[in-house]
Amino acid sequence: MLAYVAVGSTGFDKLVSAVSKKEFLRALGSRGFRRLVVQYGSSEGAFCPPSTVSESSGVSIDHFDYTRWPQRYVEQADLIICHAGTGSILEALHAGKPTVVVPNHALMDSHQSEISEELAAAGYLLVSEPDELAKTVGGGKYLDLIPYPHADPRPIGDILDEECSRQ
Amino acid sequence: MSWLHVLAAVVCVGALVLRVRAVLPVFSRGRQPSSARRKGKAARQPTDKTLCIVLGSGGHTAEMARLLQGVDFDRYARRMYVVGDSDLLSLDQIGSLEAARDHEAEHYTVCRIPRSRHVGQSFKSSIVSSLWTLLHVCRVMLQNSPDAVLCNGPANCVLVGIVALVPRFWGIKHIPVVYVESFARVTSLSLSGRIMYYVADRFVVQWPGLREKYPLAEYIPHLV
Repeated sequence: MLAYVAVGSTGFDKLVSAVSKKEFLRALGSRGFRRLVVQYGSSEGAFCPPSTVSESSGVSIDHFDYTRWPQRYVEQADLIICHAGTGSILEALHAGKPTVVVPNHALMDSHQSEISEELAAAGYLLVSEPDELAKTVGGGKYLDLIPYPHADPRPIGDILDEECSRQ
Repeated sequence: MSWLHVLAAVVCVGALVLRVRAVLPVFSRGRQPSSARRKGKAARQPTDKTLCIVLGSGGHTAEMARLLQGVDFDRYARRMYVVGDSDLLSLDQIGSLEAARDHEAEHYTVCRIPRSRHVGQSFKSSIVSSLWTLLHVCRVMLQNSPDAVLCNGPANCVLVGIVALVPRFWGIKHIPVVYVESFARVTSLSLSGRIMYYVADRFVVQWPGLREKYPLAEYIPHLV
């Protein structure tokens, strides 16, 4: 099983550091994960995984700063851990994958964590802080999430057509 | 100043106010049907309209890419994308989006405009650079003459939306402006949204709380 961690176009030191800690890797391992892929953006310095496989609880770790094809990892993943960016959240939810969102309080205004709180309240995803991540994953609650409804953007096309035929 | 001057000034200002009132969508939106979906419409004919799409940073652009899935590119045979020139990621995304939708020739143009405000820029210099941006927006709108505008929140969409109303003010061309507030906005509008509420012909929000606060908004869930 594969867990995919993505911080998006900037960096997120606290999250990147949290997912390279032994405690988190142990939690992943206990849930049956054998692979971890980390997209750490500009937070390379915060990424310091254990050097031996035994220390990383049998989880093998791939990492890179950015990828042009995040979809590839999203599709393969059995668990997605991402920052609270709308793009990342929607991508994870539409792929139908269990999602844990970690808001970056240093980077964004309060309204951006609103969206993850709202979606969490509806049961579509989990919200966690970096230092609680090991507990959140170890607890396995991500398996009980509700699938996100299919999006339908067609009303936008209808609205444009209506407005264009109005004149 | 004689009373004639005063009278002339009053008449001019009055006419201007009346014209702006007639043109600004916020004053007429309430009277329009707000049903987003009308079934049994006449068959959609392909047309060669130009759709102006305003793109912004990663999140806005990702959302716009999803919204565009609902737009029939046969009807809007030409697309013009307005992109801030610092946003290379958006350029990348336009390429892959168009490649997925339009297999033939490339019926789209990318209009890059200078950024209106840099982080940490002083107020005075940001006014100058905003005017510079405005000039560029006017130029690309004149060159491409769009038939409709679709935008969802980046700062540039305010400029594009206002410029789109200018030909309407002069009675030259009606360019409808459709604004979709970002999915990330749950309880409050973005700064762009608060302005576009008065400028856009259709104002769509994706969370019910916003519909309650802003009665002229249309609430459509699960768009993206």
